[in-house]
Order: sequence, then C-alpha cells, then structure tokens
Amino acid sequence: MSDSPAANPRPVLDVERISIAFGGLKAVTDFTLQLPRGRLHGLIGPNGAGKTTVFNLLTGVYRPTSGAISLEGESLLGMRPSQRAAAGLARTFQNIRLFPDLTVLDNVRVACHLRTRHTLAGTLWRSSLAAGEELAIIERSRELLDILGLLHRERDDARNLPYGDQRRLEIARALATDPKVLLLDEPAAGMNPQEKIELRTMIRSIRDKFSLTILLIEHDMGVVMGLCERITVLDHGVTITEGTPEEVQKNPKVIEAYLGEPVALDAVAGGGGA
Amino acid sequence: MAQHRGHDAFHARANALRPPFALSLLRSAWPLFACLALAIVLQLVIRPMMPVFAAKMLLDIGTSIILAVSLTMVNGFTGQFSIGHAAFMAVGAYVGATIVYYGSFRLFGNANMHGGLLSGMIDSRNPLPLFSWADLLFLCSLLAGGLAAAACGYVVGLPSLRLKGDYLAIVTLGFGEIVRVLIQSQTTEVLSNPQTIAATPMYMWPKYSGGALGFSGLPFYSSLFWVWVFAGLTLLVAARLKYSSTGRAFLAIREDEVAAEAMGVPTTKYKVRAFVIAAFFAGIAGVLFAHTVGVQLNPGELGFLKSFDILIMVVLGGLGSISGAALAATILTILPELLRQPPTIWPWGLIAGVVLAAALTPFSEKRWKPAVTIAVILIAWEVMRWTARTLGVDLAGYRMVIYAIALVLMMILRPEGLLGIREIWELRPVRAGGRGKGARR
Repeated sequence: MSDSPAANPRPVLDVERISIAFGGLKAVTDFTLQLPRGRLHGLIGPNGAGKTTVFNLLTGVYRPTSGAISLEGESLLGMRPSQRAAAGLARTFQNIRLFPDLTVLDNVRVACHLRTRHTLAGTLWRSSLAAGEELAIIERSRELLDILGLLHRERDDARNLPYGDQRRLEIARALATDPKVLLLDEPAAGMNPQEKIELRTMIRSIRDKFSLTILLIEHDMGVVMGLCERITVLDHGVTITEGTPEEVQKNPKVIEAYLGEPVALDAVAGGGGA
Repeated sequence: MAQHRGHDAFHARANALRPPFALSLLRSAWPLFACLALAIVLQLVIRPMMPVFAAKMLLDIGTSIILAVSLTMVNGFTGQFSIGHAAFMAVGAYVGATIVYYGSFRLFGNANMHGGLLSGMIDSRNPLPLFSWADLLFLCSLLAGGLAAAACGYVVGLPSLRLKGDYLAIVTLGFGEIVRVLIQSQTTEVLSNPQTIAATPMYMWPKYSGGALGFSGLPFYSSLFWVWVFAGLTLLVAARLKYSSTGRAFLAIREDEVAAEAMGVPTTKYKVRAFVIAAFFAGIAGVLFAHTVGVQLNPGELGFLKSFDILIMVVLGGLGSISGAALAATILTILPELLRQPPTIWPWGLIAGVVLAAALTPFSEKRWKPAVTIAVILIAWEVMRWTARTLGVDLAGYRMVIYAIALVLMMILRPEGLLGIREIWELRPVRAGGRGKGARR
C-alpha cells in the first residue's frame, strides 16, 4: 500500500495480490511482491507452481483477473507487452525465444528500437536523425554484446549459437530495451557447472552496472541460494513463504512442497531442480 | 510518456553521430535521382533500340517487380500470409483508370493518350513534347490509386492483423473476392460520349467502369519510364525498410511474435504498417497494369489467381529477400513467354551457363552444385525442345504445364526459395575446406 513507512522506500516493482484463473484452474492466487531498487529476488517452486505464469502476468501476456501491478508508481494494467517493455520491464524466456534467422547483432538491435524518435517517414527518407540513431543503435548493441562476451559472434545467425550463448544473447537483448526491472526465466537451464558460476557473476555485475532490479525464476538451487537476496516460494499458485535464502531453506512448508514430506534440508539444497 | 524515459544518453549519442545535413540530404536523395535518370534513359534511349516485344516484356517485368517486392514486405518481412494482393491492385487499377479515363474527357474531350515522350510505349504522335499536362494527370491517378489501395489495406488490416495465424489469409482471400464481385456486379456501360460525361456528376464516374465486361478504351499511358520509376521506388522503400529499425522490427515479428512484443515492438501497429505500405505499391502497380498496351482491364483478371502468381514470386525468391523477389518476378514473367516458342539456347546458353556457374561456385558449399544445376537445366531445356519437335507437339499449348512442373521441382529442390532471407549483396563466399559461418570462431 502507498502508506508504507519511510524506512522502506517506494518499491520499483509493486505487485498487489494478482490472481488468474484458466477456466476452473486457479493458476496464481493473490501473488504479492515488492521489489526495492537493486534487489535480486528469486522465484522458486516445483514444476507447475505458476512461476512462468507470474512472469506472463507481469509482462502482459496474460491479464490478471484481479490485483494491481505498478512499475515506479505507474500502473501497468491494461498495457500491452510492448508498452510494458517501453515502461522498463524486460524479460527472457524459459524456452529460448531468439529471432533465429537474424544475426546476433540484429537480435540486440531489434530491442534498441524503442529508444528511437524518428518516424516512418524518417526511416524511408533516411533522415539525418534516423541515420544518427541507427549508428547509435549499432554502437549500443555492440557494447552490450561485448559485456556479455558475444561480440566475436555478432555476424552469426542466432540459431547457430551454442545453447549457453543463446541464453546470454537473450539477456543482452533484454538489456537493450534499457529496463528498470529484468525478469529472467531460468537463465541457468541447460548450462554446465562452469557456465553456472560465470552466470552468477555475470548477473550480479549487470545488476550493478545497469542499476537493475532483477527477478529470476530458477530451478538450480545453487544459483538461487548463492545469488538471490530474497526468495519467494510458490506452490500451486499460492505463495508459501518469502524470505532470505536461509529462512526459505529452513521452512518446513518449502521442503514439503518440493519433496512431499519433511526431510533433511540438505536434500533440497543439494538435490537441484527436483 | 513512458516512451522517452531514461534514453537521454542514447539520444545525446545519436545526435553526436548524426551526419551533417548536406551529406544526409545527398545520401537520402541520390537513389531517387539515380532511379529517375535510369528510367528516363530506359524510356528515351534504350526502348527505341529494342524490339517491341522485348520492351513490352521489360514493362511487364517492372510491374511484376513492384507487386512481388511489395508483397515481400508483408509475407516476407512480417511473416503474415496475405493472399489478396491482386485485390489492392484492382482497387488501384479502377480508381486510377476512372480518374484517367473520365479526367481525359473533361480535360481533352476524348480518352486518347495525350502524354509526352515519357508516357506510352508507341511513338504515334509527332512531334512529342517531353512533358505534357496529361503526364501529370497520370501521375495523380497513380498516387490516387496507391492511396486508395493503402486506405483499403488499413481497413482490412487493422482488424485482421490483430489475429495470429491463418486468419489474415482467409480475410485477404475474402477481401479479394469481394472486390472482384463488387466490380463485376456494376453496370457494363462505359460512357464514351463527351456530352453525357460532361453531364454526369463526378461521383457517378466509378459506376461506369465496365463491370464484368471490363473497362475498355483506357489510354495506354504506362511506359518503361513510369513502370521503372515506381519499380525503383518500391525497391528503394523495401531496402530502406529492411535495413532500418522498423524493418528489423518487421523481421522480428516474423521470427517470433511473442518475443518481438516482449522486446517493445508494437506488433499489431507494425503489421498494419507493412500491410498499408504494401497495399500502396500494389495499388500503383494496378494503375500501371490498367494502362498497359494490350491489357483490357477486367475484374476477372485480378482475382485470386493473380494473387497466387504474385505469392509464387515471393515464395520462389525466398521469403524476406527483396532481390530474391525481384529476381523471381523477372524469371517468372519471362518464362511463360519464353515457353511459347522455346528458342535454342545451346550457343548462348552454354556461354551464359559457364559464366554463371563460375560466378556461383564461391558461394556454394558443394562446389560442383551450381555447375551441375545449370547443366541439368540446359539439358532439360534441349530435351524438351527435341521431344516436342519429334512428336510434332506445339509447346505453346503446354507451356503452363511446363511452368507448373518447373515450380514444383523448384520447391522440392530448394524449399527456402532462391535466396532464402538473404539478399544478393549479402552472400558471402564460402571459404574452401569449411563452412563460411562456422569457420569464424
């Protein structure tokens, strides 16, 4: 609510009790989340818990049946996904959704397009503004590719990249929209242990470099526990608990959600994506 | 607005990178002048030296290029499947024809061709002025035809492009039929008495456009100049679109609509944009088609079969490739005519084949492939001629069958089209001993 105490600054992303039902199935119920600037927040839960549905609600793919979403005080409800991206909400996808036939550079350049001011007439006439902006887009895109270590592949088709590079390219593309909040949907999926370690460093460094607020879904407990400052646990669309990694790990409800019965928590921490 | 949040650094950098005004103006304008100059040279210098049928062929090729390249912007760039391109052509053709025909009566008292040197394919009147007011009338009708088609494109596209999948195909097909039936159901009368026309109010003109019998008596304004100016313009617009933020947004929609939307591309708006631009050029092609020598504007000719002809060019050229569409438009316009009386191609064909094979070899991963392909085409051609001669068959009757077989073979052997999504100028030679793309690492 808006009458939050002064000690708790206004959150960048404020999600108030959003719910969605598909027919009779309540996929997400009363999901609430407040992300202060710079937070690295995890969203975990067993398969089918509704994590990706939450992402789709936030980015506007689905319309919540009730609740409110606002980004820096601006309500996002009723906005199309593209407008939310323009407002500063960027995402990556669980099943990689690059533009496969476009080059690596062009994938990033597409996402730069919402910064541009030139009109369609400017495009067709190749006005001086359009030319300047196209050059700036190239410069910016290559900068981002360099940060994510993909610059040497800028001219390759996105489809020809190895899996880990494709994931990183998705992050580069999301960064190109100049987001305030970045939603990462299983960034570590399919990566080997070495890549996962690099990923953790990389996510932290982009958070600091671009002063981002990050919400990430992840099944890999090593990544989640080592990276996130706070974690929300979902099960069957309901928030079971929210807290620091240590609190979450100790919570018996979390263990129950993952394993069905109370056991030692080492099984959760070490067992990976269950 | 949210649109301009926090992009100040980017905008400052963009301003710093802006080319100086004069240079930018030069870069923007030179292709227009080049295109204008080429079209004038084509009309005034090259056409008189060409046989009449070759000039007519060149005219048809230009029109086909306008149609194929404009459809590429929809089907190729944004990946939407429109199969009603000929309907926009029909809208343009009838709007343009009405303006030219009845406008001529009002201005000159008859519907003869009154254009100067740049209009028309036959130098009948003497002496011809370089420019006449009738040329301006034709230019206005071209633009009016284009704008009318674009307006229709907006009306059809706005509701149907919100939907995904095959809906657009069905809607465009339906729109095509509506346009055709609407024109066919009009009165078959075309006014030709200056007094009657003078007495008929302007808004009644479209009614007297020949209906099912076709709009007869149209002056033949279309010339290599007009066709190739607009073919050049279409190519320029397509190319500038493709290599711009807007064009990349189009391609992103084709590649993955959900991801494009998530990256800030307002997909519906951009799909409508592409659709309207494409409809504009289809409308212009329609006006040019209506005023071409030997064409009798008839709604039956602009039905869905014509739409499919255009679609085949786009698919054959490679979805998303401008140069591919233009190339396919050229080949598919020449081929049916060539098949009427298949000429022997041994002497020239051999030379051209060898040159072409040599030119293509660096781009092919399998070095023998271009040479073998060309050899097979040359042999098939000669076998076809020899068989026809031995059996005493007139190939002209079977040309559409042969044409169809060629298309089927093409789709089996090269389903991605001649060039795929790439352009001719983007092809990179494959280095010996490795794949060009993979070898970079």
